[in-house]
Amino acid sequence: MTTNTPILIIGAGFAGLGMAIQLKRTGREDFVLIERANDVGGTWRDNHYPGIACDVPSHLYSYSYLPNPDWTRVFSPGGEIQSYIRTCAEDEGILPHIHFNTDMLESRWDAEANEWVVETSNGTYRAKILITGTGHLADGHMPKIDGLDSFKGEVFHSADWDHSVDLNGKRIGVIGSGASAIQIIPEMQKRASEMVVFQRSAPYMVPRWDREYTAGERRMCRRDPSVIEDMRSEIFWAGEFNFAQRRNIPRFLEEAKTLAVSHRETHIKDPELLKKLTPDYEIGCKRLLISNTYYPAIAAENTTLEASALARVDGTKAIGASGEAYELDVLIFATGFEAVRPPFAARIFGAEGISLDAHWDKGMQAYDSIAVHGYPNLFIINGPNTGLGHNSVVYIIEAQVDYILGALDHIEAQNVSVIEVKPEAEEAYMDKIDVMSQGTVWLAGGCKSWYVDERSGRLTLIWPDFAHSFRDENGSFHPAGYTTQSLTAAE
Amino acid sequence: MLDTQPFREGEITVNGVTVRYRVAGPDNARVPLVLIHGTAGSIDGHYGYIFPMMAYRQRVIALDWSEPKGDTLELSDLVAQVRAVIETEVPEGTVTLMGYSLGAVVAAQAASEMGAKIANLILVAGWLKTDVHQQMRNHVWRALRDQNSPLITEYMTFCAFSPAFMNMKTLDDMIAAAEMLKMSPFVDKQMDLNTRIDITAACETITAKTLVMGGTYDMMVPKHHSKQLFGAIEDARYAEIPAGHAVVHERAAELFHYVDRFSAKPDAYPAGTIIPAQKP
Repeated sequence: MTTNTPILIIGAGFAGLGMAIQLKRTGREDFVLIERANDVGGTWRDNHYPGIACDVPSHLYSYSYLPNPDWTRVFSPGGEIQSYIRTCAEDEGILPHIHFNTDMLESRWDAEANEWVVETSNGTYRAKILITGTGHLADGHMPKIDGLDSFKGEVFHSADWDHSVDLNGKRIGVIGSGASAIQIIPEMQKRASEMVVFQRSAPYMVPRWDREYTAGERRMCRRDPSVIEDMRSEIFWAGEFNFAQRRNIPRFLEEAKTLAVSHRETHIKDPELLKKLTPDYEIGCKRLLISNTYYPAIAAENTTLEASALARVDGTKAIGASGEAYELDVLIFATGFEAVRPPFAARIFGAEGISLDAHWDKGMQAYDSIAVHGYPNLFIINGPNTGLGHNSVVYIIEAQVDYILGALDHIEAQNVSVIEVKPEAEEAYMDKIDVMSQGTVWLAGGCKSWYVDERSGRLTLIWPDFAHSFRDENGSFHPAGYTTQSLTAAE
Repeated sequence: MLDTQPFREGEITVNGVTVRYRVAGPDNARVPLVLIHGTAGSIDGHYGYIFPMMAYRQRVIALDWSEPKGDTLELSDLVAQVRAVIETEVPEGTVTLMGYSLGAVVAAQAASEMGAKIANLILVAGWLKTDVHQQMRNHVWRALRDQNSPLITEYMTFCAFSPAFMNMKTLDDMIAAAEMLKMSPFVDKQMDLNTRIDITAACETITAKTLVMGGTYDMMVPKHHSKQLFGAIEDARYAEIPAGHAVVHERAAELFHYVDRFSAKPDAYPAGTIIPAQKP
């Protein structure tokens, strides 16, 4: 069975839904959204581990046009974010447009028909415009660990949590010390008889200014939505301020470091442990984490911090790169996501039949962070150079959605059949990104992170500037960067 | 490794006193941006964020005021220092001149005197003519100063920051911030000058493309003053930032946003526009 649709969106997370909602709000009904799972929510559907929350305050980490007065906390739990996304999809009438349990397997550009042919687990789709909203945090990264198959206990990834495993009183190993790990570890410390944390490199951490909103505050937000608008603005610009740290300006970097050091030293008294928890790179080079419960959990009596990566597994033993071995019942991989080489890219084949992943063999790149030469009529939301180390990605998504709406208007007005980025425009854009990246803490901070592509040393995931400048530069369509072919009257 | 942004320091003599300034950032299509701090300020104190961040975009020049000789400070003393720095560093071509608080008053006066040299003008939390509300605040300040009261810096801090910003800090944070303010005879002279400002006539003659910015919660120089400047200057547009007078600290990134956009495209908005706030 082949489904024909003018516009096909892949993914029903913040990006894909944000696109769908705006299409609908601007009067378009001619789109289909395919989603590999059986629910909306993307990373918030897949990640339901104990302790999950977002590290951006909820009043900002939500659509600007769908404020939610009912957030229960400054940093609401992941389940609330998931409910919010589902409510948005329902209220905006998007559900009838979504084909669930439909995994995009292969998308190929058909140059004869000037459309994308998308093979899925649930039939073929043909679409004039293809929009991906597959996210940075979609596919869990499992490191290849020698002997993992021999492990006698339970093993799972943080993004695929197995709630059937009883963790109480177990000897639990957590692999990783990134954004997911630091939320999971305090929860596991409460349950485990013993916990071992395998830490490849120590994260920087600052306090989490979290608190519950009172019933009165929530009612105030309902009664006067301008209060939410003011909060969003306050949170957003406070986040923007911190870009000066990423820009690597000594004064602001030192301020952040002072906060992190005092947080660490307040909670960690053992000098040996303090040493292990002290990062060897500049603050912000890897994601700056926020937690009030991580250090106490690490300092707890039933916790051992193994300051090396998990090297191999042998039966019931998990062995660190240091050679230290631990008898464990459960291994939890909080090892992040395939962000630098997103799996969707290996499934999209452009005008020359080459996959986007192969095309990106020196790292991801896209004009205006959204379109790639050789891949006509394709728009990528939340793709190359759209990540932020200091603010809400929903803001970036909204800017990209606005860009695509502009492109669609242009396509319609000019009767365009094929739209493709000029290679020189794409290169010029990447040159600009390279110049902006130089000297930032992501490149100069002396760390290995998921923001940088190892193959080229280029900063491919991050937008290396203020979030507001992303919207200024990429929040509206730039027709000059594209070549177009229009349908002739005879057609 | 920190990104040590190269900058150059310079000094010139103006009416017998040495004025120090700093220059950083690339020469490009944008006209140089010259920054003037406000009362009791300095480059680092008021432009600690804007100076280095704008220097990633373009050439930026900032000066620290120097105390002139004599018992009283006049607007013309500060205008002379600004003029001298501009003439030394940008002998040819035009500049964008930005001033904050009393620095905005200096910038407006300089723009009226320097004509086409000042292509663009940015006035943050400035004012046209000292009013009774300001005189009252200044009167209390003067009394505290005469009593040599240690509370003077806390009073200044209380007046400078918006309630919303203060509420994100602790009381100890705010008291610590107050302790960083240093009083001096030069500050006394600046506070005296603040009681005597009237640039009404000068503003009528400004030809520069002007961006006026007021703070919604400014209790020191409330936003009605910025509205008056917006009215008085022919080619002015207006933007408002939800901050107190200490907008350079409270909303430094939002201020940067306006300064950056205006410096890049001064005529993006026609004269008379009230620029809408970005709604994130």
